[in-house]
Amino acid sequence: MRSSVLKPRLAAVGAIFRERHGAEVAAQVAGRAAEYAAVRDAAGLADFSFLHKFRVPAEKGLDFLDALLAGNVPRIRFGRVLHTFLADSEGLLLGDCYVANNDEEFVFLCEGIAPDAELPAILQAAGAAEAGLEDLTESHALLSVDGFKAWDVVKEIFGADVLGLPYLSIEVYPFQGATVRLLRAGKTSEFGYLLLAERAIAPALFDALQAAVVKRNGCLCGVDAHDDLRLEGRFPNIQAEGLRVRDPLVLGLQWMIDFDKEKFRGRDAIHERRKKGLRKKIAGVAAEPGNGALVTGARIFHAGQPVGEVVADCHSYVLNRRLALAVFPVELAYSGLSFRLGAPGGPAVKTISMPPIMPRSLTVKLDEM
Amino acid sequence: MSDDFQSTIERRARIIATFKEELILRLNLPYSAEDLHEDISLLGSGLGLDSLDALEIVLCIESCFKIKIPDQNIAILRSINTVVDYVLEQQAQPGGGA
Repeated sequence: MRSSVLKPRLAAVGAIFRERHGAEVAAQVAGRAAEYAAVRDAAGLADFSFLHKFRVPAEKGLDFLDALLAGNVPRIRFGRVLHTFLADSEGLLLGDCYVANNDEEFVFLCEGIAPDAELPAILQAAGAAEAGLEDLTESHALLSVDGFKAWDVVKEIFGADVLGLPYLSIEVYPFQGATVRLLRAGKTSEFGYLLLAERAIAPALFDALQAAVVKRNGCLCGVDAHDDLRLEGRFPNIQAEGLRVRDPLVLGLQWMIDFDKEKFRGRDAIHERRKKGLRKKIAGVAAEPGNGALVTGARIFHAGQPVGEVVADCHSYVLNRRLALAVFPVELAYSGLSFRLGAPGGPAVKTISMPPIMPRSLTVKLDEM
Repeated sequence: MSDDFQSTIERRARIIATFKEELILRLNLPYSAEDLHEDISLLGSGLGLDSLDALEIVLCIESCFKIKIPDQNIAILRSINTVVDYVLEQQAQPGGGA
């Protein structure tokens, strides 16, 4: 199983580890509720090294990535990041991807749900060697700093320049004689930064970021809290609803697809399903406070019949109730409807508009600070 | 389906259809109405629209539904569904928009 270079540091503070598709991830460090609160109110530092990480020279990489991914790679402006996905030949999700146009190179990050060895094999079959793709998965660590005060953390390390970075952009900063690629991204609804650093400097960077996070009353985080934050902010989560549903159209990920492209992996299958029309789609669901039965796999009933299935769930600390995503027939996938959970006479749940919360970070304008 | 259940769907579906159609037209989006999930983020991630687009969306809502969008509108503009919630809320007010 693949482990992170930062594992000893996380293990030393009692992190709980779990396997995700052949890679070891820190699931919880300070506890799910504490980590959630740190991100909403201060900042959280997480090790995202389990993502696959690549770089490819811009000249050859452009066509390679564009033929692979659903989004339009040639349209990524210099210094910007595209959020898209990698599908299999059936047009089903395999990876949630960021592609960054970083001058002479593209940086490609992929959170996959295929077995760990499968992605490099897919890339090789697609012409990775000819394109000059370099696998940074083992040679680099990926850190994620997220939270209402995350901008202040990265500003302390890299300077005030980071405040000018728009969402979905990339910039390069020096750190201890090496280069750190910093992506302003994140899927928590709060400010978020991903830092790609060489293995040699990753522990020192981790220590510096941890000290800056703790100084602002934040803490180390695991992926469990990130899963909760993603759902509450209605960011797609390939590890949750993505893994269970896999069809990007049912998941509402059409915005990640350039339908005019003539070639990308799974294109024909996706176009065929799109042509036939959607029959099911995903919608947000909330339980009444105290109802803990809104969990993944639970069935949802209407008029005595099963009509939906829960595909992702969390406890929303802001709403103080369980929150979920469920797949419904399109004619029932509307916000504001009451259903029954688990049985025809089960407790009431309601479809809701997502995202149901207003993060504090949306009220801050970094470029005016 | 009960009348209330069905009327909630119909009322919401009408507003969604109108809003999506106008949104695609005004912002020249390369998607069909069915492609736009109602929970899609309008600004930032998702459709990735910018502040100029946000202004266009405000104008679109105001002209389509004859309602006023307040200056502090970021919570309303988070997704198609949050826009529709606001429209329904305003239409339910005495003298609410069309």
